Amino acid sequence: MRKKNDITQDIDWPLLVCYLVLVTMGLTTVYSTAFNSEHSSLFDMAMPYGKQVMWIGVSLFLGLLVFLIDSSIYRKFALPIYGVTLALLVIVLFMPAINGAHAWLGFGGFGIQPAEFAKIGTALLLSSYLSTVSMHLQTMKTVLISNTIILVPVVLIMLQPDAGTVVVFTSFLFVLYREGLSYDPLILKITNAFPGIRFKQTWLGTHFIPIMFYVVFLCIVTLLISKTTFGLFIPGLHIPGLVGVIIAIAALGGIVYWLLSRMSSKREKKRAFIVVIIGFLLSTFMSLSVSFLFNGLAPHQKSRIELVLGMVEDKDGEDYNRFRAMAAVGSGGFAGKGYKGASLSSVRANHVPESETDFIFSPFAEEWGFIGSVILIAVYLFMLFRILLIAERQRNRYYRIYAYSVGMILFYHFAINIGMNIGFVPVIGIPLPFFSYGGSSMMSFSILLFVLLKLDSQRRDMLY
Amino acid sequence: MNFDSRRIVIITFITTIGVIYGFRLFYMQVIDDTWTLEAQRIAEKRHQITPPRGVIFDRNGKMVVSNETYYNLMMQESEITNLDTAAFAKLIGWTPKEVRARFIEIREGEGTYYNKNQDRTTSNYQSVRAYPFLKELTLDEIANIAPHLDKFPGFREEPTSMRKYPYKSGANILGYIAEVNKEDIVDTAYHNYYRSGDNMGRAGIERYYEQTLRGQKGVKYIVTSALNNALESFAGGKYDTTALQSPAMKLGLDIELQAYGEKLMQNKKGCIVAVEPSTGEVLSMISAPSYDPNLLVGKRNIKQNYPALLLDEGRPLFPRPLASEYPPGSIFKLVQSLIALQEGVIDVNTGFPCNKSLVGCHNHGYPSDIMKAVQFSCNPYYYQAVRKIIQQGKKKTAFADAEVGLNIWAEYMYSFGLGQKLPSDITGQRPGRIPDSKYYDKWYGHHQWAFSTIRSVSIGQGEVTMTPLQMANLAAIIANKGWFYTPHFVKSVGNSGTLPEFRKKNYTMVDAKYYPPIIEGMRRVVNESGGTAIMARNSEIITCGKTGTVQNPHGQDHSVFIAFAPLNNPKIAIAVFIENAGFGGTWSAPTASLMIEKYLNRAVKDLAKEKRIMDAHLSGL
Repeated sequence: MRKKNDITQDIDWPLLVCYLVLVTMGLTTVYSTAFNSEHSSLFDMAMPYGKQVMWIGVSLFLGLLVFLIDSSIYRKFALPIYGVTLALLVIVLFMPAINGAHAWLGFGGFGIQPAEFAKIGTALLLSSYLSTVSMHLQTMKTVLISNTIILVPVVLIMLQPDAGTVVVFTSFLFVLYREGLSYDPLILKITNAFPGIRFKQTWLGTHFIPIMFYVVFLCIVTLLISKTTFGLFIPGLHIPGLVGVIIAIAALGGIVYWLLSRMSSKREKKRAFIVVIIGFLLSTFMSLSVSFLFNGLAPHQKSRIELVLGMVEDKDGEDYNRFRAMAAVGSGGFAGKGYKGASLSSVRANHVPESETDFIFSPFAEEWGFIGSVILIAVYLFMLFRILLIAERQRNRYYRIYAYSVGMILFYHFAINIGMNIGFVPVIGIPLPFFSYGGSSMMSFSILLFVLLKLDSQRRDMLY
Repeated sequence: MNFDSRRIVIITFITTIGVIYGFRLFYMQVIDDTWTLEAQRIAEKRHQITPPRGVIFDRNGKMVVSNETYYNLMMQESEITNLDTAAFAKLIGWTPKEVRARFIEIREGEGTYYNKNQDRTTSNYQSVRAYPFLKELTLDEIANIAPHLDKFPGFREEPTSMRKYPYKSGANILGYIAEVNKEDIVDTAYHNYYRSGDNMGRAGIERYYEQTLRGQKGVKYIVTSALNNALESFAGGKYDTTALQSPAMKLGLDIELQAYGEKLMQNKKGCIVAVEPSTGEVLSMISAPSYDPNLLVGKRNIKQNYPALLLDEGRPLFPRPLASEYPPGSIFKLVQSLIALQEGVIDVNTGFPCNKSLVGCHNHGYPSDIMKAVQFSCNPYYYQAVRKIIQQGKKKTAFADAEVGLNIWAEYMYSFGLGQKLPSDITGQRPGRIPDSKYYDKWYGHHQWAFSTIRSVSIGQGEVTMTPLQMANLAAIIANKGWFYTPHFVKSVGNSGTLPEFRKKNYTMVDAKYYPPIIEGMRRVVNESGGTAIMARNSEIITCGKTGTVQNPHGQDHSVFIAFAPLNNPKIAIAVFIENAGFGGTWSAPTASLMIEKYLNRAVKDLAKEKRIMDAHLSGL
């Protein structure tokens, strides 16, 4: 027989253990990175590790609070919580700028970043909203409201500005995609405005995540080769790269049409033809505009993109941070340089800036090598899969959507942060969840996760 | 509509990213070592520690080359705060304008590199690194500056070691050191040993024994921070090596004899080379005119003095004893005598009439034997004796006969170390010339010449040339009765003993039994009336010698004298060559005798003789 009051019984222990493992690994890394022999105590409040211990303590306390509060509160008070986080986002804009951004809200000696907490409010409200409109996911109203929930904090965060967190908010698109939301109502409004066109649905609105991948892929390819020329081995012939891209799109369209026409009836063949033609035109248009827009970018934005794509190399200049971090990671070797052995990325060495916060993966990888890095990635992947598993086992949509939100936010942070350290992603200043030094991120991620654990522990109670 | 399948899209996406990241990390951390090398470039600094150069002693344990501490005034821009340029300029005795110019000079001296991607040129200069603002200050100079440096943060003193020559003598032997240039740094022959700022031997012993004297550089690997602070030694100092100074070097040189010889040779052009016959060690090697080796210590001195020395018409930088190829004159008759005896074309008692129609001569008694021939230095005697060596009648025609004879003669000469560079431990030698048949074939054509064509070589004129070092070696060979150790400078390095390459006795092709009559002749040259070098006579020391007067078509004849002493158990063999001084017995012979006396008795008694030589101006111009 289950005791209703026993909060430990239904906790998802694997996820909680994952959390504790990551927090521990993070703390030991902060300790080794920021280590100062004059302040060698782990609890020295003058040092990042002392503060981190405090933040972890605070986070665990908040986690306990989350468990003590009845889970229905989160759903009932989703809108007020969202409202409070938005209010904080507005207030923070009036705070003095630190490093050029109005991101910090000071409380005495400590500060928090409201943008970190806005993710919680948004996740709660989005879950709450989408679970009420389950049958009407393809309506114009749903599309507008759910996107507004996401967009309002995004706009406020953009004003700070904090590009990293804005990027993270696009993780909610995955949640919408998973729940089956379609942008068709919006897109059809535009396409059907043209005389003679009567679409009932578009791929664009329904399969927006795969299309997003295609678009990103196409953008990268366009940028990579639009400036080059090729000659097909014919001397003197210089075909611009952009022409090559368009030829490739046309070829792709041809193949798709051939595949579609073989599988469909005569009437559908005609439709497939139109789809391919539109796809070709849109792709070409996009390719051209990306190329055009890129040339119109400010030089520093342009160079940052060029650096990530490997089009230029500037390891001691523009690409200093990322390159130093990569050198630290790569020099770790198979087994690493040993604990406290980060000769590049320790705070003392200072070759890798922000090595205890945004670039914390680099000291970890430098000290623990390939073995450590792979274990860390495995722990994160395990955690993400566990969250998705938790999500999919919920009978309640509200719980599932929330779980997906948590999973995708964590995934974004994981992928962008580590990707930045290994040269796949431009420098976007966002922390590695549970790992990086910093109170706001530690608290907000902990709350995010503990709310999930709380909801999951009560998944059976929903039947009552 | 059921969207559960969409979770597959998401899971696939996450998995793909995870796997790609794993592979990427494997590539970066395990396969590709680019990053490890970059990390080394970024954080690991290799500090070289240059030991002081090895010190050098003479044969009596007198220090001839030592090291002295000098000071560089170092400047690190990143630590400079509110520099009072006027006050600083006053402190170092410059104008503010010069101080500012020096800052620019340091920055520009570091060169630039071009960054292709950014299309801009960046200086190699780093504000966090220390550069010498003033170099090679003496203790006196730094003592005036150092106490006030606390008012100028970013400036500090740093000791540096430089050469010192306490005796101011032997510049042509010891050589000098100078900072390496860009070519030396990249020269593959040096195996990347040198870094900018290192010194290297440029001449003499310093150059020949560069690899020994420079010692062994120490290397310290340290890990540095982005601000270039040293953090810790790399890998606990596992790869560090200590700097090792070369063990002390001992020369065969007698620095006091050297200094004395330089004094005797003042206001003259020429050389003195003295060798210890029993070891081949060079006791002194004077090249006149000479210079104080301290003139070429340090960058400032070299910059100031080198061009003047180079352009001086006395050519003090030219190593005369090694590189001047003089016709030997009459001293050559000694070798001719030995060869004639060995070849059996004459014997000890062979006499030739002094037939002045063959070749000019002075008035003297009848050279009835080889001793008298040496004593009188009779030209016609040697004309006839050498003709017998060259034209031995082995071939039908005189031309073919001369070819065979000359080549036999040349082989003998080579065995005396002539016509070739002696494998000594100094650079700058010239080989001298012993003409053989090929040489004359080139001039006259094959079988177009015979003894009569080349007769002047019989009395040491014409095509034959020798360096003063070879002349001294010849004296040593006669003193040893037929063998020599290659003349050399270094006695030992640390406790090495004589270096292996100088432990091999070289024998001439003339048997020991033929030497005593020649030595007797040489004794008479100095010690009997009618000898040509009675001015070299010393009542306490029996010196054996031979004068020479080298005909010089360009001016006054050169005065030459070779000798060894004492007669029994010779301790010193010497050659003196004074350009444009005339008769050999007048200047070179007394000079040699003073050197011999100085070396054997440590003091000279005949001060009038000494004064006469020292005061003489014999530059002949």
